[in-house]
Amino acid sequence: MMHCTMDDLLALRASEASVWARRHVEDCGACRAELDSLYQRVAQLKALPALRPPRDRWSIVRDAARVDQAHRRRTWSGWGLAAAAALVGLLLVPRFGPDGSKLHAELADAKGQSATLEDQLQNYDVDGRVLTGRMAARVAELEDRIAVIDGDLARWGAVKPQAQDAELVKLWQQRVDLMRQLVNVRVSSARYVGL
Amino acid sequence: MTVALAVPDILVARAQAGDEAALEALFRAFETPVYNLARRMLRNAEDAEDVLQETFLEVVKSIRNYRGEGYLWGWIRRIAATKALMRIRRDQLRATEPLGEDHGKAGMHVGANIDLERAFEQLTDTSRAVVWLHDVEGYTHEEIGELMGKSVSFSKSQLARAHARLRGMLGEGEGAQA
Repeated sequence: MMHCTMDDLLALRASEASVWARRHVEDCGACRAELDSLYQRVAQLKALPALRPPRDRWSIVRDAARVDQAHRRRTWSGWGLAAAAALVGLLLVPRFGPDGSKLHAELADAKGQSATLEDQLQNYDVDGRVLTGRMAARVAELEDRIAVIDGDLARWGAVKPQAQDAELVKLWQQRVDLMRQLVNVRVSSARYVGL
Repeated sequence: MTVALAVPDILVARAQAGDEAALEALFRAFETPVYNLARRMLRNAEDAEDVLQETFLEVVKSIRNYRGEGYLWGWIRRIAATKALMRIRRDQLRATEPLGEDHGKAGMHVGANIDLERAFEQLTDTSRAVVWLHDVEGYTHEEIGELMGKSVSFSKSQLARAHARLRGMLGEGEGAQA
């Protein structure tokens, strides 16, 4: 006598069985017992005790979350600063005399380059890219140095909102230099993972 | 195991805003089901711990993108299952074990009458994953095929072979199925 295969039994359990299998299992005690065993096995699998993680991994996840958030904040503060700087620059344009025109041109140039580099950086999916340990350390160092300069620029704006001296230009040029290095690292990492 | 599915929306919203206490609350609510899923699918406890960690790193990073479609456990479980399957695939590539070969562990004879948990552990990684995802987590064959990058019939045949093997190891049903 032909009996149900395991495929037939699983199909019966899923209510997808053939007419033959459905009729056969009604008449065949052995196959009904097999089907009952299958139901019991699945029920026992569902009833297996929950296995609990032997160690607490929250601290690792939390630290990674903090790094992620700090990175996001830094990125957004950079964008915010760039936007604010552009606005301040527009407001200050009429105040410059002939003596300040060279400084103004240099400042505008540095700000423009900084914005361009920010754009380039966004193209490299900075949050999702896998970095080697060395590259990650370099990125962190550069981002920290940029954050320090951003802090200086923000303080500068608060203390001397109309300042247009060489020190301000120098800060922006330093920012451009660091941004350029950061973009280079990101380009290298993109090549490294075969983008 | 039964997983408490209801997570207050406010908790999810706080987690999406980056609230560390809310993120920890989500971690505490789901760490055991995630680890259990990974541990049942994977042979190695350390791999399951790594999947737990990778899953929540992904949750922390992507929770802003969770729009509340389906329940949260379904979203987290899919991340965990994907990561566990990636490990299985990686290990199979390293060991050059063809996907789907269900030879089980050596020394486990038909009719050995061992308990179900031990018998389940003797299945290959792929078979264990299919059985667990289908029979316990309630995934359909279509969903399993999609997660594994395989066909529906692959999932079905893996399940049938795994159950036939479990049945043999448990010494069940000597009558039919011979």
